[in-house]
Amino acid sequence: MTLNTTAETETAKIARGLREGDMQLVADLVERCQHRLVRYLLYLTGRREYAEDLAQETWVRVLQRGSQYNGRQRFDPWLFAIARNLAIDYLRKKRKGVQTASSPNDRDAMLLLPSSGPSPFEAAARSKDAIRLAGQLQILSPLYREALLLRFQEDLSLSEIAQVLGAPVTTVTSRIYRGLAALRSAFEEGGDSPGV
Amino acid sequence: MIRLECDKRFRELIDRSFVEEVSEGERQVIHDHIRDCDGCKRYVELSARTIRGLREFTFTSEPDSNAQVREILADHAGTMRQHNVQFRIWAAFAVALSMSFVGSALVYQVTKRLAVPMHFDTAQVQAGVLVFWLLPSFCSALCLFAAPRENRGIA
Repeated sequence: MTLNTTAETETAKIARGLREGDMQLVADLVERCQHRLVRYLLYLTGRREYAEDLAQETWVRVLQRGSQYNGRQRFDPWLFAIARNLAIDYLRKKRKGVQTASSPNDRDAMLLLPSSGPSPFEAAARSKDAIRLAGQLQILSPLYREALLLRFQEDLSLSEIAQVLGAPVTTVTSRIYRGLAALRSAFEEGGDSPGV
Repeated sequence: MIRLECDKRFRELIDRSFVEEVSEGERQVIHDHIRDCDGCKRYVELSARTIRGLREFTFTSEPDSNAQVREILADHAGTMRQHNVQFRIWAAFAVALSMSFVGSALVYQVTKRLAVPMHFDTAQVQAGVLVFWLLPSFCSALCLFAAPRENRGIA
């Protein structure tokens, strides 16, 4: 009960601050969420340089459209949803050769195009198991990758993930299961001694 | 050895136990099952290890990343404020202008009625409204653009 009240107060405070253009509040949010935002965008785009640019663009959008945040849900899913839409539009512009469309499935398709360049996951892996997963993560569909990140690193609920993705909960669970299955194969194929 | 007959049903339940909330009863079912089923036990271990592995990535941000974002946002907020003020000035001008015309029309109607007992003709009434009402109010509306920002009273 106390926790719920605290959470409500916090989101209401954020909503009011964003509506009033409170720069101190925005600065605090940047401090608190920037690292996670960049991580989410990395999982989504697979490219470090895109992630940093998109994170900046996301904050500008938060400032512009802050009044649209109603404070009834947590701030993080709202932030990630903005970042996701920007990432899709950004990738669409970057990859002009691909046919564009506006339905949710077609928008998701923009994320499925292969990304080139060094893997950010290998550089970020901090254990033997993580190193093993890094290779799989790089070739895993970004749609599965983002679902896994939102569930197991951001600890968002399934309905919050659905809100970010703009997809039904059944789609979210299906992506998480498939993503997990693909990553499990990293251990199934090459021995299973756990490393630290 | 994986027991094929239990494979699919339990794998789905195990997956669900990692991803969403399962009841205490279902958790107990899994627990009891993996005691006897090596295949499912290994499946649980690999799933847990995969999820643990996913949490073992540390992405370091650029050292001045947060400061950069704050700087960009401060610039942007300044621009937004400027646009906001300009928008308000135009909106105030539009309101002032429309009030000026509506007010003039009303004053003209009233003055026309008063003109009869006071023996003024229509041309005199029109000139009076133009000089003493319409032009001053129009000039006041235009003053919104001429005044320095702090004196506009609307920013």
